[in-house]
Amino acid sequence: MTTLKSLEKQLQKTDRKQAVLYLFCNFISLLLITAYSAMMFSPTVLEVFPEGGDSRKQMVAIFVLALFGCVVFTIYASNLFFRKKAKQLGTLMALGASGRRLLPGLIREVFTLSAVSSFAGILAGFPFILILWNSFRLFLTDSTQMILTIDFRCLYLSAAFFVIVIGFSCLNAYRCLKRTNIMEIMHEEHRNEPVKEPGTWCGPAGILLLLAGAALGYIAPAAYMKLFSAYPTAWINLLYAPVFVGLYMIMLHTVVYGWRSRKKHPYKNLIARSMMKFQGKQTVNNLLVSTVLIGGSVFGIFYIPMLSVGQAMEVNARPYDYFYHYRTDQSIPGKEEIAALAAKYSLAIRDFNNAPYVSLAMDGITEVEDEGRSFHYERIPLLNEAKFFPESSYETLTGEKISVEKGSYMAISNTDETNTYFLNLTASTLTNMVTFQTLPVSFAGYAHYDFLADTRGYYVLNNEDYETIAAGLTPDWTGTAAVFNMEGGDSYEFARDFFCTLISSFGPECEMPSYYDRVEKYYKNQKGEVYWGDTPDMTRISFSEPDTSEFRSFWKYMPKIRILDQTDFTRTFSVFLMMFLFIAIICSLAAMVISYTRCMTILLNNRYVFDDLKRLGASPGFLIQEIRGQAGPVFLIPAAVGMSAMYLLYLLLMYANDGKLTAGEIGGMAVCLLILAAIAGIYFLVYRYTVKNMCRQLDIDRKQKRRSL
Amino acid sequence: MLYVKNLHKSYQSGSKSYPVLKGINFSVAKQEFVAVMGPSGSGKSTLLNCISCYIPFEQGTITLGGQELKGLDENALAKVRNEKLGFVFQDFMLLDGLSVRENILVPRIIQGKVDQDAEKLADKLLSLFGIDHIAGKYPADVSGGERQRTAVARSLINRPLLILADEPTGNLDSKSSRAVIESFENARAKLGASIFMVTHDSYAASFCDRVILLKDGVVYDTLEAGHGRGEERQAAFQDRLLGAIREMSSASPGDNPSGSRNYDNNTESNAPAHIDPGSRNYNGGTENKAPAHIGAGTETPGSAERRDTK
Repeated sequence: MTTLKSLEKQLQKTDRKQAVLYLFCNFISLLLITAYSAMMFSPTVLEVFPEGGDSRKQMVAIFVLALFGCVVFTIYASNLFFRKKAKQLGTLMALGASGRRLLPGLIREVFTLSAVSSFAGILAGFPFILILWNSFRLFLTDSTQMILTIDFRCLYLSAAFFVIVIGFSCLNAYRCLKRTNIMEIMHEEHRNEPVKEPGTWCGPAGILLLLAGAALGYIAPAAYMKLFSAYPTAWINLLYAPVFVGLYMIMLHTVVYGWRSRKKHPYKNLIARSMMKFQGKQTVNNLLVSTVLIGGSVFGIFYIPMLSVGQAMEVNARPYDYFYHYRTDQSIPGKEEIAALAAKYSLAIRDFNNAPYVSLAMDGITEVEDEGRSFHYERIPLLNEAKFFPESSYETLTGEKISVEKGSYMAISNTDETNTYFLNLTASTLTNMVTFQTLPVSFAGYAHYDFLADTRGYYVLNNEDYETIAAGLTPDWTGTAAVFNMEGGDSYEFARDFFCTLISSFGPECEMPSYYDRVEKYYKNQKGEVYWGDTPDMTRISFSEPDTSEFRSFWKYMPKIRILDQTDFTRTFSVFLMMFLFIAIICSLAAMVISYTRCMTILLNNRYVFDDLKRLGASPGFLIQEIRGQAGPVFLIPAAVGMSAMYLLYLLLMYANDGKLTAGEIGGMAVCLLILAAIAGIYFLVYRYTVKNMCRQLDIDRKQKRRSL
Repeated sequence: MLYVKNLHKSYQSGSKSYPVLKGINFSVAKQEFVAVMGPSGSGKSTLLNCISCYIPFEQGTITLGGQELKGLDENALAKVRNEKLGFVFQDFMLLDGLSVRENILVPRIIQGKVDQDAEKLADKLLSLFGIDHIAGKYPADVSGGERQRTAVARSLINRPLLILADEPTGNLDSKSSRAVIESFENARAKLGASIFMVTHDSYAASFCDRVILLKDGVVYDTLEAGHGRGEERQAAFQDRLLGAIREMSSASPGDNPSGSRNYDNNTESNAPAHIDPGSRNYNGGTENKAPAHIGAGTETPGSAERRDTK
């Protein structure tokens, strides 16, 4: 060893522990980013998650959070590496090596470490998602839609992160050696980063800010539209920023004061609290990142019960096993044919009812976009197509007598009158799209029937009005709705056969999504504009893919078949469910790794404190208590804050949607509580493992502690 | 050889500036052993760090071996540190991954001159400081005293003009401290080294030719060891040092001694707690466990604080 280069190489060998930690942190970050972006940009996912839809927005939002978490985690790992490295660099500089001479070696080292770990993380990301996704398919649910395809353009994001990691570590190397105060470099490792004590108001104020930010961020877009008659830009989401400030203040309070009253035992956990306080900046940052990731994880996992519980409750509450509707110009099986089909499966049908309806054009007031982002409200004479039952049909289908006054119409909603956004309540004229005869009407209120309350939008007219306006309609503007039950039990095979028979009876003119609106198309074409439904933006529905979530969710004539919906639910929505489960796993893993790493860092930095305590005669019990005092808040606070904040946010969203909580939502939230308990259990196990590992590293005999107790 | 003139240094905290050195003047001659003492916050370590070129200073000049340090660029300062200065730190600052022998050679490796001469000198230093038996061991495997002697050996490998020692006995027990001081004496006597040491330890300082007392960022007083030889001279010098320290601690801020002074110590120790009045007994390396207020050996003027050094 005669050159500086060989000296540096030898020193790198001794730094293996910190290098491994750095490698591990970078590896995990890149693995998570690659895995997540591979999933997010996978054609499998993109085909299922509608563009501009809430699910895709949520997926992207959580991705941004995860990305933020990974960036912070990587910066933390890099800082940690340089803090440990600083003593060595400072000593060499003190002995006469200039920063300029040390820089190439240091850059080479961090570049190699960053590049190797990042590259390995990127490479491992793909097997990781393949294993995880295929485990879902193997153990949870499978469908043709779930065959995972990867678009390798997702690597752009990983590559960008790769560049950030390398760039930041090299910049850190440069900054470290650029400092003129060598004493600072030498003592960097032992530099404390105490946070300024903000006052005990900090925590409660943080909670208030958190709640205020959530409310402000949620209300702001609607308020903006109301006040300025314009669509807000994405920047309005910055109004959620107080949430993060609030979270930071809560974490700060946790580190500086804790949340328990210390009046009774002022010296309890004194050492643990002090250690935390004097490395406050890093600790607060770590807690914040973990909280955000846990929040993202919980948000992801909540999607599953919220989607499935509401759906399950709705399906179970249906008064009929089967409901289907069709245009009169389609040759759809009638009662006898269905009965014959059922007989093939030794089944019988009962309660068969069918009732006619007509499709009419409604006028109404809607938002019309102007130049820029502004809009105004305007009455459109031919706004949308809607299905109208006469009073008699409604009675046939529901068994309930209803009276609609002449010259008025009623909208069919669920009992709670929630989710009524798709109903047109401002119509004053109905138009027959064949004869263009019109009927002046006004909204007369809701008819409550949960079974028919869906996004297709059903309305009821006075019998007489119905006859008047329906006169002259061609079969493509009229239709029939039919319902029936099964005698005794039902069978999935029959249901599937019926479903396939029904689909094959429809012509290609009906191969369209539910929001394809013939009235709107006519109106746009009349104005010389292209209807958006005829552009590639419109989701395509194909009779050849009846099991996809698009078909089941959006086909215009999709029947409601209880047994099919119950059995196929997981498969139909498998990509949705699995993607959100995947998000939850990724975010949870990241949060756990960050908390674990933080605890290990605290241990490494304060090892001498524990050694001193041992020399002062501290018992294993006391030392374990101090370790728990360190590790406890690192796990508990992010978990508690992340979970409860997200639970409250979900409740707020559910409530704010329609001003009430439906039975499905209450059921879903109850299941969410159980899931939270399960996640908390997993976190507790990881916490226990961490404490055990910390004790092992510090040579604290946990058995001895039990004996001494 | 080392000239410090009108040295000023202040630290910034936010918008406030806190002056630490307020016009320091002194010099160190070739083969001279000089110590700086003073209460905590008096500016000792800052002074040492300025001379070491570790931290920049605002005003004044530091000249080492005829070379003015102010205004040198990073590379030139590094060269000065490597070739003209040797360093001994309180917490040793040895590199964990290198053996004792390799640690000694580090300044030469940095210089790029690990030749036969360097190897021979390393062996000579190992032998001179009694650490040749641990040459292949790693810092973690040797005692504190051995680590510090390794650091002293390392400081001499480039035959510097001046060794700068920051509290070299601060982390050591009495036996090891004694060994380190002996190392310095050896380095001076056999290798012609000059030593500039910052210390709180009046016993360690009593081996010096001269002690500069620093208070509130200015030189409060300078004490010469005087003539004579051996332990008697050292003991007498320690007494004088303690007297001077006591006087300094009771002086009002801004006071500087004037006229003739008698630092003979015939009274109970009033030395401030932050300056070690010699609470350890360096009796040939054997610790005297008797508490400080119990006389150990024959009472001589000032022995209650000086401790028996026989």
